[in-house]
Amino acid sequence: MIRYYYYHIFYVGMMNIMVLVPYVLISHRFDGAVSSFPLAIACGTLYSYVTSAVFQRFPGLGLPEIYKLFLPVWLANCLNMVGVVVWCTAGIIVLFSYSNTVGIFFDPEASSYLNLAIMAAASLWAASRTSRSVQFTHEVLLIVSTPIILWILFKALFSHWLDWDAIRLVADAGIRKPPSMVCLFAASFVFSGHMNITLFNRLNPSDLKFRFRWIIPIVGTFFLLVSFFVPIGFHGTQAVGNYLYVWSVTTDSLMMKYGFIQRVLYLFLLLYTFLSLVFVMNTWHTGMEFFKACFKKYKPQTDEVNVPAINWWICGVLAGLTFVYAYFTNDIFNRVAAELWLVTRFIIESILVMLLIVFVVMKKKGYMKRIDESRSPQSGGANR
Amino acid sequence: MLEKVKDILGTPSDFTAETMDNGYAKMQICFFPGMCDMDQLKDAIVVPFSYRFDPDEFRRMLHTSIGFMKDVPEDQWVDFLLKGYIILEYEGEVFVFRAIRRMQTQPDQTQVEASLQGPQSAFTENLDLNLTLVRNLYNVPELTVENFEPQNQSKSKIALLYDRTKRNETTLEEVRKRLRNLDEGLLLSAGQLAKQISQAKYRLFPITQITERPDRLSIHLNKGKLAVLMDGSRFAILLPVHFFDFMYAMDDHYEPSWMSRFLIGLRYVSMMLTLLLPALYISIVSYNPEVFRVQLAFTIDGSRAAVPYPSFIEVLLMLFMIEALIEASLRLPRSVGSTAATVGGLILGQAAQQAGLVSSIMIIVTSVVAISNFVIPNSTFSYFIRILKYAFVLVAVFAGLVGVVVGIFMLVVYLCNMRSFGEPYFALFQSKAGKASDNIK
Repeated sequence: MIRYYYYHIFYVGMMNIMVLVPYVLISHRFDGAVSSFPLAIACGTLYSYVTSAVFQRFPGLGLPEIYKLFLPVWLANCLNMVGVVVWCTAGIIVLFSYSNTVGIFFDPEASSYLNLAIMAAASLWAASRTSRSVQFTHEVLLIVSTPIILWILFKALFSHWLDWDAIRLVADAGIRKPPSMVCLFAASFVFSGHMNITLFNRLNPSDLKFRFRWIIPIVGTFFLLVSFFVPIGFHGTQAVGNYLYVWSVTTDSLMMKYGFIQRVLYLFLLLYTFLSLVFVMNTWHTGMEFFKACFKKYKPQTDEVNVPAINWWICGVLAGLTFVYAYFTNDIFNRVAAELWLVTRFIIESILVMLLIVFVVMKKKGYMKRIDESRSPQSGGANR
Repeated sequence: MLEKVKDILGTPSDFTAETMDNGYAKMQICFFPGMCDMDQLKDAIVVPFSYRFDPDEFRRMLHTSIGFMKDVPEDQWVDFLLKGYIILEYEGEVFVFRAIRRMQTQPDQTQVEASLQGPQSAFTENLDLNLTLVRNLYNVPELTVENFEPQNQSKSKIALLYDRTKRNETTLEEVRKRLRNLDEGLLLSAGQLAKQISQAKYRLFPITQITERPDRLSIHLNKGKLAVLMDGSRFAILLPVHFFDFMYAMDDHYEPSWMSRFLIGLRYVSMMLTLLLPALYISIVSYNPEVFRVQLAFTIDGSRAAVPYPSFIEVLLMLFMIEALIEASLRLPRSVGSTAATVGGLILGQAAQQAGLVSSIMIIVTSVVAISNFVIPNSTFSYFIRILKYAFVLVAVFAGLVGVVVGIFMLVVYLCNMRSFGEPYFALFQSKAGKASDNIK
């Protein structure tokens, strides 16, 4: 069961490419991007440790249930709604930017709404499933795509087109500058896979011990450094600033000598289709569950037999919002929105970590509003 | 007694209803000669009643012998007769004697799930013999058999098998409930029964597995799962099953492990090919030829030079031909089957390409799709895959490569969302039969 936690860590590390993290970092490559890395790594690791430690003390409870234990109802609902907004906007931004990417590289003539419609429909359907199904889907797709993505990354690292001088130059110049806040916020996203436990903790058995947490800084650091430095090495210190979808262009510089497909770009994009859809599925699903938790009659269910109609409605609204967003924005605004989102996310995450520490203290002192009824998670045969 | 029976049955000509009189006593007897074993009838009833008649002994025999059932309610007489029992009335008491003609005494040869080195015996159409076969292989005291006699028109006996110590109570209850509430109407085969207990008409994948092999059933029971056997069907139903169970041939348990792993991998690759190749062909030829390396893209385009219509017409044409050919060679009698293959081979081969109707690449694609489909060891499952292929073709026509990838994603979501009697259908790393959830699909 512990493996599900690390799936989230891993895939968010890989997803940073689609949330425009490399773009934000690279646009600040000469003023403080590099020096904010150590801070981001420290912050991200610390947060991961805190959240996993706290949720270990509340087995089988998601974040909304923990709010209900300690806070008055109106405040808990406000916090839930904040969660809904943060999670769902993440999905919407990724969906928009990814369908754009696909449009640019795969099918420039087709209407951009067609790709968006296909992917929104798939995400709608996937996100409205039960938590356990979402978890299974996540696992399968991650196991299929991770090896190939890692292979592409390593291929890029060992490619002889990679100019290590450019990388050294940026690293040298960058580390002497004072760190910038925006870069700290953006870079710490790589570590925010641990946030998904806020919902999926419902599926965790009570005797779950978070072992192997030393993996988190290693994985995060690896993905952070690769996603920032490899494009610089390929395009050079100046030209790298010209691209919005930096990584797509970078993988297009790679070539496979054998097999049917020559341009790595296509393989990369197809794999990232999976990952983006998984990302949207997870974020929307979490947002949906948080939203549902605001109602009085709501009982957390992780494995219902039939999907309740409300799931369809909520996810339908989200898909509709994506279209509205796509109608009113373009790439440039989306960039700003993504940056804004990264900043907001970091602030919310920090507040949440504080809150969680407070909750643990309250639990120790016994200041609970309600009785702590640790639910044993419904087993779907998966908790062994 | 005779009148009551005749009232219900009428007087069919294959029915015998007589009053026997040996000079000392009278006995009414009725049965269907075609359904009864006449030797048993002779040994157990006719001889003691006629040649060696002794009233006391005969009475004692009727009251003590295991073969004779007393006090059977009147409304069940006809049911017993129709199953091949004999009913007799002696001294005002009615007895039912079991003398069913046994069609089979030998286990069958495997016909559907061939195995090179495994056991060659398969289930027969006789339930008792099938239970014997299972008991021989799974020889533990915990093996439990529950009988169900559904009140439909066939009234074939159904047996539910499980291991008492390993089974899961919720799944068992659910299956029992469904077996009690079967549809009225004819129930002719295990496949039909499986359809009725899985209770989903439009599911894309089977959630029960049908097998003719006792050894597969034993392995399944040993995992703590259930099996359903039905009288008059050569196949057992296994449930709950996982997606991965369908890709197992029994030989995988009997061959060296590396070999079987390689073969399982081969099957999964084949499954992906038969699902996706036509869709990929359409999306690459019509949408994104630049995905392939340049030489290959030119080769494909060059081979399509003579073809006058878009790729999806070509694909649908060839797929129709190959499906028709497969269907024809399956349903035809064996003597004609080879003709179909020859004709089909001519059509699907060089001729179609030379006529400029399809490209030569398409011919290769079609053959790969057809062959790969036969690699899947379970026939039900391969049917489902065959149908699903067209969904992908449809997506590819309208949305190209991205559509196909999103389609794969949706397929994975669909599979992960399925539950087979409460157990996850498509979850990795869960080989053991687990505790199913409290709610059951």
